[in-house]
Amino acid sequence: MSAIPANPSTPAASARPRRVTPLSARGEPVVWITGMAMVVCTLMIISLLTLTFVMGSITFWPRPIDHVTLNTGETLLGIPVREEAYNAGAEDAAAMAVLREQGKLDESMFDSEDRPIRRLYRVGNREIYGEPFKWIPLFSIAERRSEPRAVLLERLDWGVWVGIPEAVVLQEEVLLPAGVPIAAEGTTEAGLRFEQKPLGESAEGGQRVARRTYLAEGDAAWRKFAEVHTQARATASRVTSMRKHDVGDVNYRLEAARLEFRNAELELARAQSGRYESIGYAGWLAFAVLGVAGVGGGLGSSVLRQRSVRKGRGDRMSLRMVGAVAWCVGIAALLGAWLERPWAAPSMTPERLVEVRIEYERRSAELNTEYESILARIRAIDAEDAAMRLVVREATSNRFAPIRQTQAEEPLRVSQVVLGFEANSLSFWGKVGIYVERWREFLLDEPRDTNTAGGIFPVIFGTVALTILLSIVVVPLGVIAALYMREYARQGLVISIVRIAVNNLAGVPSIVYGVFGLGFFCYFVGEFVDTGPKAANVVNRGAWWIGVLALVVAGVSAAWLGLFARPVPGVLASSRQRTMGWAAALLWIGAAGGAVWLVLSTPYFTGLYEASLPNSVFRSRGLLWSALTLALLTLPVVIVATEEAIAAVPRTMREGSYGCGASKWQTIRRIVLPRAMPGIMTGMILAMARGAGEVAPLMLVGVVKLAPELPVDGHFPFVHLERSFMHLGFHIYDVGFQSPDSEAARPLVWTTTLVLVIVVLMLNLSAIRLRSRLRRRFVGGAF
Amino acid sequence: MLIIQKGSSRQSQGPGVTRTVGVDVPSAAHAGVSSSMPRNAQPNLTDRPTVMDAVRQGLTFEPMVHPALQNLDPIVQTREFQLSYGPSKALHSITMNIPRNHVTALIGPSGCGKSTLLRSINRLNDLVDGVSTKGEILLNGEPVYAPDVDVIDLRKRIGMVFQKSNPFPMSIFENVVYPLRIDGERRKSVLMEACERSLRWAALWDEVKDRLKESALGLSGGQQQRLCIARAIAAEPEVLLMDEPCSALDPLATLKIEELIHDIASRYTVIIVTHNMQQASRVSDYTAFMYLGRLVEFSPTDVIFQNPSLPETEQYVTGRFG
Repeated sequence: MSAIPANPSTPAASARPRRVTPLSARGEPVVWITGMAMVVCTLMIISLLTLTFVMGSITFWPRPIDHVTLNTGETLLGIPVREEAYNAGAEDAAAMAVLREQGKLDESMFDSEDRPIRRLYRVGNREIYGEPFKWIPLFSIAERRSEPRAVLLERLDWGVWVGIPEAVVLQEEVLLPAGVPIAAEGTTEAGLRFEQKPLGESAEGGQRVARRTYLAEGDAAWRKFAEVHTQARATASRVTSMRKHDVGDVNYRLEAARLEFRNAELELARAQSGRYESIGYAGWLAFAVLGVAGVGGGLGSSVLRQRSVRKGRGDRMSLRMVGAVAWCVGIAALLGAWLERPWAAPSMTPERLVEVRIEYERRSAELNTEYESILARIRAIDAEDAAMRLVVREATSNRFAPIRQTQAEEPLRVSQVVLGFEANSLSFWGKVGIYVERWREFLLDEPRDTNTAGGIFPVIFGTVALTILLSIVVVPLGVIAALYMREYARQGLVISIVRIAVNNLAGVPSIVYGVFGLGFFCYFVGEFVDTGPKAANVVNRGAWWIGVLALVVAGVSAAWLGLFARPVPGVLASSRQRTMGWAAALLWIGAAGGAVWLVLSTPYFTGLYEASLPNSVFRSRGLLWSALTLALLTLPVVIVATEEAIAAVPRTMREGSYGCGASKWQTIRRIVLPRAMPGIMTGMILAMARGAGEVAPLMLVGVVKLAPELPVDGHFPFVHLERSFMHLGFHIYDVGFQSPDSEAARPLVWTTTLVLVIVVLMLNLSAIRLRSRLRRRFVGGAF
Repeated sequence: MLIIQKGSSRQSQGPGVTRTVGVDVPSAAHAGVSSSMPRNAQPNLTDRPTVMDAVRQGLTFEPMVHPALQNLDPIVQTREFQLSYGPSKALHSITMNIPRNHVTALIGPSGCGKSTLLRSINRLNDLVDGVSTKGEILLNGEPVYAPDVDVIDLRKRIGMVFQKSNPFPMSIFENVVYPLRIDGERRKSVLMEACERSLRWAALWDEVKDRLKESALGLSGGQQQRLCIARAIAAEPEVLLMDEPCSALDPLATLKIEELIHDIASRYTVIIVTHNMQQASRVSDYTAFMYLGRLVEFSPTDVIFQNPSLPETEQYVTGRFG
C-alpha cells in the first residue's frame, strides 16, 4: 500500500517528508505468525491423540499365525509382529555366506544398506522357548505358509500358547473292581477311545485307574473345544469367586473375631494399668451439673434476648456474651460428663477375659469348619473342572501345553484357556468378535500374569475413585477458602501474603507433595488415627481438663475482644480498638494452638485400630491419604479460579442485593455463588485433570502394582479408604518399564494410555457440560 | 438548623461571618426564570457567604430552605450530617427534612454529593472502606447511624433503584420477590400476590405476565429498570430512593418511568437524584440543590426553577454551569 499522496497545494505537504507505513506497524505478518503458532499447537495435540488412538486400538486385533520352516529343518508357529534391519554377527555372516553359495539369498532379505532383515515372531510357549518372542532372520526361513488349524490360546498364566489342537480329553480316576485286568486302551460304550494306566489299590480293595477318554480328535477337536469352553470358563470363574468372596468373607469374620478378642485384652491391660480409674459419681455429677447449667444458661439467654427484641429494647449485647460463655462451658462440661461416665469405666476383669477367650475360640472353630466345608466344595467343583483337558501340540518340539510347569505330561485344562481362536480361519466378523471380546476383558476383568495380560478394571476403578474423592475434598475447601479471602477478609498486607503463598504452592514439584503426604498424613495423622496420641505426649486427665478450661477462656475472651474491637460503621477505629483487635488475634492463634495440643495429648482417645497392631491400618499408604495429598496439590488451582470468578461478579449486582435488605451471607449464597459457579467449575475441571494425571506423589502415598482387592466391597463400611489401589498413570509406567515381558507389554502400554486419555476426557467433558448449563442459567450474557 | 431567611438580620447567622462580598445580582436572562419574588421578601444577599467562599475560606454556609418545607411531616431528617471518604470530606453538615409522600429531587453538578447523601440514608456507604460520618440521619424519628441499629432491617424498610439496572440472574418472578424471600417469606400465594402487585405498580405486568419464569436478563433496558423498581417496592418500603434511574435509558422509557414515579408518589415517598433538570422539574414536588458537598437551596420545585433565591441556584438551573 502506498502512502496517500499529500495535497501538493497545502504548505505542509512540501515541508513534511513522505512516509510509508513500516512493516512492523502493519498487522499482516502478525496474522501469519500467530496462525502458524496455532497450527503447530493443534498439530501436536492432534498427532498425540491420533498416535495414542491408533496404536492403542490395533493391539487387540487378531493377527494370523505363520507356519515357518527354517533352513535347519526346524518348524515353528508364530505371529509376525514387526521387521527390522540389523547388523549381522559372525555366525550369521557365515550362514549367509553358505546360503549365498547355494544361491538361496534374495534381495528382499536385505535392506537398502545391504543389512539383513529379521522378523520378530511371537511364539508364546514360554515353557519351551524361555522367551515368548523370537527374532528370525529372513534369510534363514526356508518356507512360510499359513496353517489353517493353528490356534492361539491366551492362558490363565504363563502367557500365550501357539499350536495345533490335537484332542479334547476327559481325564478322570476310575474305580475298577479288583482282579479285573487293566487294558491300556479301549473303547467306551459311546464309541470313544480311551487310554488307561493303573494307579494302585483303593481303600476298599478295588483298583484305581487313570483313564484318559478322547472326546474328540484331530479336526473335530477344535469344534468340541468351542462347545465345552464356555461352560468350563463359567465353572472356573465360579471357583475363583468362591475363593474370593466366600473364603474372603470367612477370613474377614475370622479377623473381626480376633480383633474383638484383642480389644478385650487391651481393655484389661488398660483397666489394670490404673490410668483409667473412674472419677466416681461425685466427680461426674459436677460435670453433669455444670453442663446442664451451661446449656440452660445459653438457652435462657437466647429466650431473654428474644423477649427483649420483642419488647423493642433491641438485642442486648451483655446477654449475648453471657449466652456464649454459658454455651461454651455447658458443651465442654457435657463432653466431660460423657467421657467420664462412671458406668462405662473399663470393667474388664481376668475372669471376663477368660469368657471372651472361650467365645473367641468357639467362634474360630465354627468359622474354621465353615472354611473347611467351603474348601471342600471348591475342591469338588475344581476336580470336576480339572477333568476336561485340551491337547495342543506346538510345532517345534511336539510337546503339548501343560497344566502347570512341573507337570509337563499333563495337558492343560480347558478352563485355563481364557480365549482361544483359530487365527487363520477367522472370517472378518469372527475377528471383530475376538476384538470386542478382548476389549471387554481389558475393561472389565482383573489383571493376570503380573499385569502383562488380562484386564485393567481395578486400575480404572482406582483412578476414578481417586479423582472423585479428590474433587470432593478440594472443591469445598478451595471454594470456602477463596470466599473468605475475597469476601470477608480485609484486603491488606496479610491477605496479600496468603494469596502469594497459595499461588506459589502451584509451583512446588509434585513429588514434594508425595513426601509431605507420606510424612504428615501417613506417618503422623495415620498413626494418630490408628493408635491415638503417643504415650509420651499424653497428660493426665486433670491437666487435660484444665487445658480445656483455658481453651474456653481464651476462645471466649478472643471473641469478646474481637467484638469490642470492631468499630461502628461510619467511624474509623480508635487506637484502643486496634490494640484490642491485635490482642484478640493473638488469643485466637493461642486458642488454635491450644486446641491442637489438646487433641494430641488427650488421654481419652486410644486410636481406632489399636487392636490391629502390628498391622497398621491408616498408618500405611492408602486411598484416603492419596486423595488428600492430591487435593493439596490441586488446591491453588481451585482457589485462584474461584477468586477470579467471585471478583468477576459485578458490584452493581451486589449493591442491588444489599439495597433489597439482604445480609452479606444471603447475597453470597443467592447472587455471588450462583453467578460464580461456571468459574468454580472451571477450577474443578482443571483440578480433576491435573489430579488424575499426577503419578509421582501417588507412588509414595498409595498406589501399588497389584492391589488384592478393590477399595469398595460388600463389607461395612463399604468404602475402605485405608486400602491401597491401582492407578492408570502408574500402571502405564509399571507395564512399560517394570514388567518381565516388555515386548508383550508394549502394546498394552499404548492401550492403557488410550484408556487413560479417554477416562480423563470423559471426566472433563461431564464437568464442562455441567458448567455450560450453569453458565446459561446464571450468567446470561458473556462470562 | 432551619433558617428563616426572609427578612432575617445578619446577626443571627453565627459568629465571624462579617465579610461583605460583591454578589452578582441574578438577571432574568434565561426564559424560565423570572424575578417575581416581592422586594421585601428578597433576602439580604450582599453579605451572605457564597458556596465558593465557604469552600475557599472554610466558612459555614447556610442553605436556603423554603418556609413551605417547615411544617411538613418529614420522613427522613438529616441533622448536620457529614461524611468523609478517608481524609476528604464529601458532605458538609447537611441539614434537611424530606417531606413524606412527596417526590423530592436532589439536583446539582457532578460530584456535589447527591448520590452520596442518597446512599447514606440506607447506609449503603458502609460497604465502602474508610467512610466516616458525623451527625445524624433520622428515619421516622429513629436514628439510622446509632451503634445498635440493625442495618439489614433498615435496608428492608428502604427501597433503592440504581443508575444502571441490575436484575439478578434469576427469573423475573424470583427477581421481584427477592426482598420477600430474603425476609423468610416462603408462602407461594403471598409471593405471587406481591409479584403481581409490584409489577402492576411498575407498569410491567402486562408485558411480562406470560413469561414470569424466564430469565430477567432477556428484558430490554427500560423493562429491566422497571423490574428493578418493582423489586424495590415489592416489600412495601417506607421510602424509595432512586439514583439517576433514567440516565441509561432512551426518552420513551424515561417517560414511562416518570409516569410511574408520578403514580407511586401517592403511596411512597420518593427521593430521586437526577442531573437532568427538566426531569426534576417534571417529576418532583420539592427540589434540593446541592453544590460541592453542601446543601444550597431546598424549595418547592416551581420556586426553585422559576424563582430561585440564591445566585448559585439560579446559575445552575439556567444552565450557566453544570
